[in-house]
Amino acid sequence: MKKLLHAALVTGALVSSGQALAADCGKVVIGEMNWASGEFLARLDGMILEEGYGCEVEYLTAGTVPQITSMNEKGTPTFASEVWANASKTLIDAAEAEGRLIRLNKKPIDGAGEGWWIDPKTMQEHGFKTVEDVLARPDLFPHPEDPSKGGFHTCPAGWGCELSNANLFRAFDLEAKGWKMVQPGSGAGLDGSIAKAGERGEAWFGYYWAPTTMIGKYELQPLDFDAGYDANNWDNCIVLPVEDCANPQRTRWTTSEVVSLAQGSFLTEQPMAAGYVKARSLTVPQLGKYLKYMDANQATGEDAAIEFLMNEEATWTQWVSSDAAERIKNAL
Amino acid sequence: MNWLVEFPELGRGDLRDLRKGIDEGFKNFTRTYGESIEGFFDPLLQFLIGLEKLLLAMPWPVFIALVCVLGWLASRSVKIVIGTAISFFLIGFLGMWEDTMSTVSIIMVSTMVCIGLGLPIGILMSRSDRAQAVVTPILDVMQTIPSFVYLIPVVMMLGIGKVPGLISVVIYALPPMIRLTNLGIRLVDKEVLEAADAFGASAWQKLWQVQVPLALPNIFAGVNQTIMMSLAMVVIASMIGVTGLGQPVLKAISNQYLAMGLLNGLAIVALAIIFDRISQSYGKRLQSYRGGHNE
Repeated sequence: MKKLLHAALVTGALVSSGQALAADCGKVVIGEMNWASGEFLARLDGMILEEGYGCEVEYLTAGTVPQITSMNEKGTPTFASEVWANASKTLIDAAEAEGRLIRLNKKPIDGAGEGWWIDPKTMQEHGFKTVEDVLARPDLFPHPEDPSKGGFHTCPAGWGCELSNANLFRAFDLEAKGWKMVQPGSGAGLDGSIAKAGERGEAWFGYYWAPTTMIGKYELQPLDFDAGYDANNWDNCIVLPVEDCANPQRTRWTTSEVVSLAQGSFLTEQPMAAGYVKARSLTVPQLGKYLKYMDANQATGEDAAIEFLMNEEATWTQWVSSDAAERIKNAL
Repeated sequence: MNWLVEFPELGRGDLRDLRKGIDEGFKNFTRTYGESIEGFFDPLLQFLIGLEKLLLAMPWPVFIALVCVLGWLASRSVKIVIGTAISFFLIGFLGMWEDTMSTVSIIMVSTMVCIGLGLPIGILMSRSDRAQAVVTPILDVMQTIPSFVYLIPVVMMLGIGKVPGLISVVIYALPPMIRLTNLGIRLVDKEVLEAADAFGASAWQKLWQVQVPLALPNIFAGVNQTIMMSLAMVVIASMIGVTGLGQPVLKAISNQYLAMGLLNGLAIVALAIIFDRISQSYGKRLQSYRGGHNE
């Protein structure tokens, strides 16, 4: 108790001795996701809000569901930078209708989502663009246990995407085109297969999602499915077990809704800070560069955020007011 | 007194450089030698694939009959034979035949590899205290290190699939084979060895005609333990792409499918019990036969 009191006194003293700015912004609790890009984005937001807008920033680290639940039920965090909304769509929609939560930034990461990817070297050498281009050349991606077939790295057993991949495998007729699935067994197995191929300069083709360290580090390239999207086909066939999806149709991958989710009150009570969060947007390759930096240097999200602020001035100055930009530059 | 409270640890930067150095070193190693190591294991991979294909192509009654005959030859127990037949029939009936065949093939190969490696190492350990002093701590590491620690480097080196899975199974299942071979040979009576010396047996003759035969019950306990541990490792090995009963178990874990997990888990248990009873009763028969002769 004594310790707590002490800590409170110290923080209190720090805040009151801080700039008058703090009064403008106040306290912001940032929901930090427990994966690399989530950590990076949260820390980047935190630094900009702290240095640029004088907010008092705290972080709350958790996974998607606890984060959203806490935002919805307890009113903290103030906002979460990278929320994958697909799985909690109904909950968020309901909260947004009541004005409790708001999808403050609908595209914090341009290009985020799932899909089929290949290594950059093969992509360049053969000028591949679409899934069909790759499917025509199973010989370039020999299956480890049956080199006469091409190996498609599917999603680990038990993940939802295992079903979608199995159905897309049928929809794009991979078997007839000389492909066989490689079962990675686990997320670590899938990552391992990419790392192995990347380190050895071997070809790799399979399922993955961005933004992730693996995509950033090995610069995997997304393939264009070159097909439309029909919600009925996706929801009532592709995502179901193979037995329940009699006639899967070609489709692109469903869009993953990634948003910065905030408390409804954030926009009215802390408009400056909210304005920044609304404007902040990164592309997958931009983000990938710093995820790669984190991996290569075993750095924290905070280290990478500083690195980003130092190197990407042209990008982040567009998100903040010119005063805030000045203050951040001075702080660096 | 600050230095007493704060542990004198390596600086953050140094620690990071150390970790990075090790990681880089390993990466360079796999980049340089990875392909040749993969090539070295290729025959093993072909053998594994061949065996799995053979087991899958074999008509199921033939397979069950074969296992029953083997069971009878090893145990001479009607109960074990009937139990075996019923278990395999149930496994097939409940739709787990293919996965079970994959698992059986990897268990068979890993047991062969473990015997092939474990027997000579165990013999070496039993003959030299220095070898024992060197090998024992290595075995301790193999048995206690969390398997995830070596699963990932194995994947970096060999990719995902059967061979890296087999290697991780062997790392886990080899120690009891070595330990019990060593123990068995060391437990052979001094008097018996003296008698062998008195008959003028050479060291080679003593080893193969006295020590190893007398140690057989222990060696068989080692084989038995190796099989059990391989089966325990099958689920973990499926995390790096080994097909078989482990995959549906993993799937069941991440989706909380109770029945699926239970059925596949029980299939692993059934395999374990079958292999265990057969190899144990064979070991026991070896012992009683020998006991009868000595009297």
